[in-house]
Amino acid sequence: MSSSKIMERAEAVASAAKPLPWLGDLSKEKILAWVELELPGFSKSAKRKYGEHQVIAKPLSPILHILSGNTPHAALQTLIRGILVGAKNILKLPEDDLPEVREFIQRLPNELKPLVGRVLEPDWFTEAEAVVVFGSDETVQYFQQRIQPWQRFLPHGHKISFGLIAGSFDQDVVHGAARDVCVFDQLGCLSPQFYLVDGDSQAFAETLAEQLSTLISSPRSWSQEIAASLRAYREEWKFRAATEPGVMVLESPKSLDWLVIYDPSPALEHNPLHCTVLVKPMPENLEQSLAPIRRHISTIGVHPADTRLTALAIELGAQRVCAIGQMQNPPLTWHHDGWPSLASLIRYVDVEG
Amino acid sequence: MLLLENEILQYLGNPVEERFEPLALKIFEFQRARNPIYARYCNSLAVEVDSWKRIPAVPQQAFKRTELRSFPHEATTFEFRTSGTTGEGYGRHFLPSLDLYEAAVQFGWEFFRLPHHPFALLMQSPEDAPFSSLSRMGGFLTAGQRDRFFITKDGVLEKDRLQKFLGSTNQAITLFGTALAFLNLDSTELRLPAGSILMETGGFKGSGREVAKEVLYEQLSQSFGIPTSAIWNEYGMTELSSQFYSSGIGNSHLGPPWLRFVVINPETNEEAETGQAGPLKIVDLANLWSVLAIQTQDLAVAQPDGGFILLGRDPKALPRGCSRAMDELIRRSQACPP
Repeated sequence: MSSSKIMERAEAVASAAKPLPWLGDLSKEKILAWVELELPGFSKSAKRKYGEHQVIAKPLSPILHILSGNTPHAALQTLIRGILVGAKNILKLPEDDLPEVREFIQRLPNELKPLVGRVLEPDWFTEAEAVVVFGSDETVQYFQQRIQPWQRFLPHGHKISFGLIAGSFDQDVVHGAARDVCVFDQLGCLSPQFYLVDGDSQAFAETLAEQLSTLISSPRSWSQEIAASLRAYREEWKFRAATEPGVMVLESPKSLDWLVIYDPSPALEHNPLHCTVLVKPMPENLEQSLAPIRRHISTIGVHPADTRLTALAIELGAQRVCAIGQMQNPPLTWHHDGWPSLASLIRYVDVEG
Repeated sequence: MLLLENEILQYLGNPVEERFEPLALKIFEFQRARNPIYARYCNSLAVEVDSWKRIPAVPQQAFKRTELRSFPHEATTFEFRTSGTTGEGYGRHFLPSLDLYEAAVQFGWEFFRLPHHPFALLMQSPEDAPFSSLSRMGGFLTAGQRDRFFITKDGVLEKDRLQKFLGSTNQAITLFGTALAFLNLDSTELRLPAGSILMETGGFKGSGREVAKEVLYEQLSQSFGIPTSAIWNEYGMTELSSQFYSSGIGNSHLGPPWLRFVVINPETNEEAETGQAGPLKIVDLANLWSVLAIQTQDLAVAQPDGGFILLGRDPKALPRGCSRAMDELIRRSQACPP
């Protein structure tokens, strides 16, 4: 990485990201601080002393980013990382496209613009030095089987996030929980799908419903299939509420805008998302209840964000632990799915003597 | 035999339009009085049931969690099960007698003037598949001729025997089976005698194979040497007793007079406007022993001819993204407990 170029790249990214506040604080200074944190010394000089010798950081290039359609957030994060390390970038967009990503690219200077397409050209894959894949386990496995030994493979399979609440909670906490649900229509890997509450779980569900009804005020629309699946889910739970003890359905009236299910059973439940949340009492055997999803947990939001609950979340398999209300705001420097996000796109050249 | 059961049987044989609504409401009251689970559901909805369209429909998924009987548990004689291919377990439909089911099948066949050709059925016999409502339907249609079923107890499609059977006759036949079974026949050389019809049912749920109806029908038409108009679809489900039918490509599904539907606007949960797509709510007067109104997840658009165009039985696109991750993990954990 050359130091003058990294300044220009940081500036270009900062400027292109300006209209997208949901990307977090992407000022030039923050970006450079991030590069310095992950790749110490490299923002100032391409070569630095490393033990008894010198080391040069070279980007893996080109990087092929295979994107999924749930949110533009992850797509832009991976592109930005690729740009910052100085790689050539190739984006394979999902079928339904990602307009926010295209707009971001338009704001980039020509030399930093990635190659973009919705169809994967065969040479994109064979020439890439790094392949970043977002998608289901199935998709990830498909590309994994085709990866060459010299290619670096960075898989981001779909993940599940949720919240743990212990003891008392006030309106602000529940408001934060509702906000975490609503961002990106709950389609991101950081979007909480359920809350486990040690305390008055029913009251948490009721307050969450109130907060969602306040937060989601403008009418929304869906494709036929999504609307039908949301309706089917709601009606199924209404049947369960009428016939199973303790189950409660709190729903947006005469619309599919949001849904809170209160279910006293510890069983994990399918969730069609689009602002659908399950609230359950904290299961007696938490670890066992969450065992089926352990390897797929991304973020666990906790309240209170104290040592005990944080330790518990780590024990349960969290990749990231944060306060309720912050689930959708990972810091720029976070280790997306557990590895350093810039350093993983770098190869080191050792120069001795 | 119950008086009401008898009344329904008479209606199936002689469906007088004016009697549909009063009979539907009578069955609703009967089920509400005898089925405490359904009664609880109806009470929770608190709707005024003043027409057949407003009879509370039980979500089809509920058959997987609950035993819905409008007769005493100990009178259960038959149990039909859904295939369970979606991985969440199977739905169960209990019956104390098959009289209504058989009448619905036979009168339905008559109503649509479906031919009484000899049958060849790409399904297991009811003896080999006692929980399959489709096999039982095949049993009614063939009057129990076991050699007309061409799938063995172990699920093997007997292509050679079928070929031999078809080669042995010049008489038109009715070849009836699941869409999946027809796909599995694709490489086999089979010609149907002139005037034959083909009836497919069941979709491709959980098979990992998906073929557009147009493509399937063109393929079947060529393989069997019959026009696409001679290819029928039977749209039914384990949880119901009666069936809708359509023929050829692009035509509506129609039901017999005792089987009706409402397309629901998913946003409002009320009846959809004309031309709008939505999930089907079905009311089947022959479904006396469980519930007569069922809310499906199948998307359709109502047509001016009184039928509907089916848009899809298995919305493959769903669930998506991180919802799909959860879905798959739950299925896996149910398939092999930790």
